[in-house]
Amino acid sequence: MAVEVNQVAGEPASVSMGFPVTVGWTHAAMAVYSVLRLNTPVNLKMHIEMHSPLLIDFRHHAFSWSTPLEIFPVDAVHTGLETEPTSDAAPPLFELPGQDLDGLLWEMGINSFGGAPAYWLPPDERYRLTRWPNLTQHRHTMQQMQMMAVLGNTFVSTSELAKLTGADESDAQRLINALSLMRILTRTSAAPAAVVVAPTAATKRQSLFGRLRKRLGR
Amino acid sequence: MAEHVILFTGPMGAGKTTAIESLSEIEVVRTEANNSERHIADKPTTTVALDYGEILIGAEEKVRLYGIPGQKRFDFMWAILKKRAKGMILLVNSDAPDPIEEMLSFIEEFRELYDRGGVVIGVSRADVVAGPTLGDYSDALERTNPDMVIPVFTVDPRNRDQMENVLLALIANIEMRAMFGMMTTEAV
Repeated sequence: MAVEVNQVAGEPASVSMGFPVTVGWTHAAMAVYSVLRLNTPVNLKMHIEMHSPLLIDFRHHAFSWSTPLEIFPVDAVHTGLETEPTSDAAPPLFELPGQDLDGLLWEMGINSFGGAPAYWLPPDERYRLTRWPNLTQHRHTMQQMQMMAVLGNTFVSTSELAKLTGADESDAQRLINALSLMRILTRTSAAPAAVVVAPTAATKRQSLFGRLRKRLGR
Repeated sequence: MAEHVILFTGPMGAGKTTAIESLSEIEVVRTEANNSERHIADKPTTTVALDYGEILIGAEEKVRLYGIPGQKRFDFMWAILKKRAKGMILLVNSDAPDPIEEMLSFIEEFRELYDRGGVVIGVSRADVVAGPTLGDYSDALERTNPDMVIPVFTVDPRNRDQMENVLLALIANIEMRAMFGMMTTEAV
C-alpha cells in the first residue's frame, strides 16, 4: 500500500517505515516503540486524516499536535509516517516546550492492540512499575489507578492484575501496554505467582478507596 | 465514628492550605500569622499551627485533612500528628532552590509513614518553571528506598479534580501495600 512521504527540502532524507494506511493506533505504537528502542536521535511525523500532522521530537520527550488529547481520536486513520534522522545539536522539530510525550504515549498505549498484548511483550511475564505515570495529567479510570497501586507494590501477570482488581483482562492488558510503551514497567519471568484474592462485595465495602471514590462521585 | 487522618506537609509556600481548601467539604479552619521568613516564601502570612478540613463519608466516617507547618521550628507538631496519620501528601514547589533536597528532608522526618507506603508527592508550580523532571524526583526516592514506588504527580493545589486524584492514589497505594504485606505475613 502506498505510503505518503513528504520530505522537507534541504534536510536529511526521511525514511519510510513501510507504514500502511491503518485505522487506530497499533501501527503507530509499534513505530514509536521501534524508534524508542533505537536510542538514536530521530524525529517522527505522523499523517492522520482530518488532523494536522503529529510531530514527535524524542530528544526533548515532547510532541506537537493541534488535536487536544482530551478528544483523542481512537479510530484515527493514519495515512503516513516519516522518520527523520536528526542530531543532538539540531534545532527542535517544533517550538519547545511542546507537550509532554508521556501524555501521548499513555493514550496511544491504551488505545492500541485492541486489548491484546503489545507485540514486544513476551508471554508468561510479570510486571511491576518503576515509577507512577503522572496521573493528574492523563485521563484515567479509578480501576486503572487501582491497578497501578497493585503494580507499584508487586510483580503480577496481566491475568493476576485483572483478578486482583476485578478488571477485564483486556483492560489490564491495555494498561500494561501503555506503561510499557512509556517505559515505566520492569518485567521478569522469574517472579513467583502473586497470591490472588479476587475482590468480593464485602472487601469492596471494607475498602476506604471504594467508599471515598463513591463519595467523590468517581 | 471511623476517622482517617491525612497530613499535608511540605515547605512554606508549596500550597498545603490551598490543597486542603480544594478538598474540604467544610470551611477550612485556618490558623495563620505573620510570616517572619519572607526571604523563603514571599507571602504575608503562613501556616503556623494547623489547617483543618474534612471529607464526610456517610454519617459514621470522615477523612480529616491536616495541614501542618512547613517550618522546622514547628516540628513538635509533626511528631504528634504523624502517629495518628494514615498517610501523607507531601507538596514541594518546583521553583524552590532545591526541591528534591527539600522533599528528601521531609521524607526523612516522616520516615515511618514513608516506610509503610503512605506517601504521595505533589510537585506544585511545575508549569511555572522548568525544574527537575518527575523522573528526577522518582530517582531520588528510589535511592532512599529502592523497594518502594512512591507516586509523584504534578499538581495545581487549586484544582479540586487533581487533588482528589492525589488523595485517591494515596489511599489506593496504602490499601494495596497493606494487602500485600498481610499476604506476606500469612505466607510466613
